[in-house]
Amino acid sequence: MTARVDVDLAEGPVLSRRSPLRWVLFVLGWVIALALPWFVYPPVAMDIAAWGLFAMSVDLLLGFTGLLSFGHAAFWGSSAYVTGLVAINTGWPFPSAILAGMVFAMVIAVPIGYLSVRRTGIYFAMVTLAFAQMIYFVANQWRDLTGGENGLQGIPRNFFGIDAIETDAFYFYYVGLGLVLLGVFVAWRVVHSPFGRVLVAIRDNPARVRALGYNVERYKIIAFVISAGLAGLAGGVFAISHGFASLQELNWTTSGKVVLITVLGGIGTLWGGPVGAAIVVSLEDWLASSGFEGTGIILGGIFVLIVLLFRHGVWGTGRQIASWVQRRRRQNTRS
Amino acid sequence: MSTSTRRRRLFSAVAVAAIGSLALAACSGGSGGPQSGGSSKLTNDKIVLGLLNDQSGVYKDLSGPNSAVAIQMAIDDYKAKYGDSAVAKTIEIVQADHQNKADVANSKAQEMYDRQNADLILDVPNSAAALAVANQAKAKKKLYINVGAGTTALTGAQCNKYTFHWAYDTAVLAKGTAGTIVGEGGKSWNIVYPDYAFGQDMNKSFTTEVKGAGGSVGQSIATPFPSDNFATFITKAGDGNPQVVGTMHAGGDLINFVKQFNQSTLKGKSELAVGLMFITDIHSLGVDQFAGTQFTDPWYWNFDEQNKKWADRFKEKTNTRPSFAHAANYSAALNYLEAVQAAASDDADTIVKSLEGKKINDFFLRNGEVRAADHNVTHDVYLAKVKTKEQVKEDWDYEGITKTVPAAEAYPQPDGSCKLS
Amino acid sequence: MGSFVQYTVQGLAAGGFYALAALGLAVIFGVLGVVNFSHGACYMLGAVGAAVLLDTTNLGFWPALLIVPLVMFVFGVLMERLLVQWLLRLDPLYNFLLTFGLTLLLVDLVKRRYGVSGLPYQLPAGLDGNVTLGSLSLSAYQIFACLFSLAVCVVVWAVLTKTRVGMIVRAATENSERTRALGINVTRWVTPVFGFGIALAGLAGVLAAPFRAITADMGSNFVIILFAVVVIGGLGSILGAVVGGFLVGLVEAYGQAYAPSFAQVVIFVLMAVVVLVRPSGLFGREGVA
Repeated sequence: MTARVDVDLAEGPVLSRRSPLRWVLFVLGWVIALALPWFVYPPVAMDIAAWGLFAMSVDLLLGFTGLLSFGHAAFWGSSAYVTGLVAINTGWPFPSAILAGMVFAMVIAVPIGYLSVRRTGIYFAMVTLAFAQMIYFVANQWRDLTGGENGLQGIPRNFFGIDAIETDAFYFYYVGLGLVLLGVFVAWRVVHSPFGRVLVAIRDNPARVRALGYNVERYKIIAFVISAGLAGLAGGVFAISHGFASLQELNWTTSGKVVLITVLGGIGTLWGGPVGAAIVVSLEDWLASSGFEGTGIILGGIFVLIVLLFRHGVWGTGRQIASWVQRRRRQNTRS
Repeated sequence: MSTSTRRRRLFSAVAVAAIGSLALAACSGGSGGPQSGGSSKLTNDKIVLGLLNDQSGVYKDLSGPNSAVAIQMAIDDYKAKYGDSAVAKTIEIVQADHQNKADVANSKAQEMYDRQNADLILDVPNSAAALAVANQAKAKKKLYINVGAGTTALTGAQCNKYTFHWAYDTAVLAKGTAGTIVGEGGKSWNIVYPDYAFGQDMNKSFTTEVKGAGGSVGQSIATPFPSDNFATFITKAGDGNPQVVGTMHAGGDLINFVKQFNQSTLKGKSELAVGLMFITDIHSLGVDQFAGTQFTDPWYWNFDEQNKKWADRFKEKTNTRPSFAHAANYSAALNYLEAVQAAASDDADTIVKSLEGKKINDFFLRNGEVRAADHNVTHDVYLAKVKTKEQVKEDWDYEGITKTVPAAEAYPQPDGSCKLS
Repeated sequence: MGSFVQYTVQGLAAGGFYALAALGLAVIFGVLGVVNFSHGACYMLGAVGAAVLLDTTNLGFWPALLIVPLVMFVFGVLMERLLVQWLLRLDPLYNFLLTFGLTLLLVDLVKRRYGVSGLPYQLPAGLDGNVTLGSLSLSAYQIFACLFSLAVCVVVWAVLTKTRVGMIVRAATENSERTRALGINVTRWVTPVFGFGIALAGLAGVLAAPFRAITADMGSNFVIILFAVVVIGGLGSILGAVVGGFLVGLVEAYGQAYAPSFAQVVIFVLMAVVVLVRPSGLFGREGVA
């Protein structure tokens, strides 16, 4: 039983390179990313960017390699802690702290990935969940280092003494965004590369890929480590943005939330991650401010509906509509 | 398309995007934008009181949204007292739910101070959340009066100029409860505590107090936090047949623990002492499960006429009796407003100065004083014993107050770990 | 020695809840291929149901043992008909995610309706004392819980092995194609089996009600442990679920008694070891990876 998710990537990109719509979307994406903190409370905008990258990392595994990780909070969270600890104890500029966190996430991903990829499908999900729980408990126990229930508090935001970035969340957003966009670029390059094609092939028919002579496990592990690194980058940015790292960042509910965001945005679309993050983070923020009590009802309800009716998520459904429109247009020109 | 053409297109697209966003941003009047610096004055005659607590989790009934009612009562009383000469003509309450999570509390506090221009944040139960908010208060240089949390770190190693601890802390609970029970003859103790900051704090405080009162602590048993299965730990607690088993659990854990303790072989053999108990715990588990248990309560609604009068007012608005947290939030809010009135400004540093060393006597703070050394607010506390079912005359009338512990006795002297900056 | 026996009894009592619930999870997985994330929420609903039943109709523990699982059976049938069935032909991932979303929904609904402080529920009269065996004093309720769970598991096992219905279910679990080829209408059994699995979770909840705090969150960590149980025992194996449940209960109890800091990690280490060394679990069949 392998995790085959119905993604119509096999059809190739829906919009051709020359399509003006593609450029419009590209420009629109930039506009939104750059203008966001003007319209949304800047720390929330940073959250959207961080969760967006986190979801992209999950999508890299789920949509493109066919592996559902239900323990990705292990990388997001441990990077958050390491970033925080480095920032507190060394006073380096925060990008280096985030780099340290990212490296740590990738390092622990190697043994975890090595052990986990021996299984597929739902077993893979459960093993990753088990490993994430172990890390959660270790962090809980090692409270001299992590602060335990209190969390890691007072993470400084050092940036070469530039006061505006260090104290104002608005200016910090742009630096954080820069880091996040680096991660986005890496994800995009991985997907649009021969390596990425092999991953997709593994997702669809691992036996054939193995027969073609590829070492399927090694590809999976590499994908896993890259994905962990991206999740770590996102987690580090999150920690610096909040000045705080807590056990919640390692909890399985965080793993569940990022999967929810990925599915909502659209599995196998990559850009679905930021879209899903924007929806979920804004929704949570709005619900919390309005004093509404049933956030779980709304989120759970949306999720159930999405899985039942809009399995391809927001971006995926948009893609389906676009491809349907294109097909009609081609039919009309042909006849 | 040649590579250079594509590259040119790419750059022009990004440039268009950048210009577009700037244009869009310039027209925005949205909630974002860089912060305007400077401290808040009493702009537009507005004071914003922030209430940050658990509105959907285990401590919802203890404080929760009803504390906003209590704070509103304080606002009404302030306005009634000063009428037209009130310095603060417009007073708003903003609320947020921290869901008992330190990270959420951290974000919400930042938001309240920045986005909603809160001058003061009140309440914040849950020690981890409380400490996070203290950090925010220090960073934003705005006031924070904690009511709901117990950690002594708020007035100890993590103290700061803008943070005040209004109602109780773990040291007070230990002194009251442990001291009394040892005095009554319960000398040999085993302590069971949840293995996190608050539990460890309580374990330390209680061990110190029991020994100080002439008792002994055989074992301190740590339980995972949170947990719902204490059977093995309760068995362990019976080792050595202690006279008293002290439980340092709170909220849902406490309820589980007491339930399982009452079903175990220890019931009847060892007395159960509860480190931290709220009247809401008694209400949710039922009086019979807790009958006879002794604990320290910072304030009880049915203690005397003065308290009862306020409790009746509270009941009219909420249909339930107040816990100490509701009363404390009222007291803190009202005293803050009085300080604003006296100073004719809401400048945080001025208010801090005026509160330090102040002696306060209201229905919540009996013989109260805001200690200048560590911003801990000392006041009389009470030794309570849970009534039996027959003794309960009306709903929420669960406690019989056996002793008043005067402030000087209840609060240990500051231990020097607090360096107020 | 005395405490060791007490820990063993406690472990078996907790293991009983795990075994019952895991049995439901295993049956659902075996016949439908669905990994039901909401199993913990159903356990919670069982406990809440018992408390609500007592509160509204004054019916106590013993009637609840019968009524609540029946209600949960209906609930399970509704869940399958309205939600789960549409995704059955797809990858199990989708139903996993669906039931995850359902969990969020159910937990929050209970929180809104019944608050968070927990619902009161007492031990049934007659079981609230202690049983003395020689020098040992053990909780009567724990012994009852352990024996009752065991009895139910035995009954379920007997039904599955000795009756025609059971044979169909087992055949469908092992190979639904072939079973269909033999002319048996497997589809007709899918819904009742799902309902039955949910009913078992509810029953475990009722058993837990006098013993644990009844809160909306009580199922959240329970379901994670349940996953460990079924993975250790074998996802499609009924015997595995039961043995796994009791095993995990014991491991938990001994861990808490002798190495409390590691108690919670041990279960997951065990789970990871099993998945890596024997992925089909202790009693599962090979090739179910």
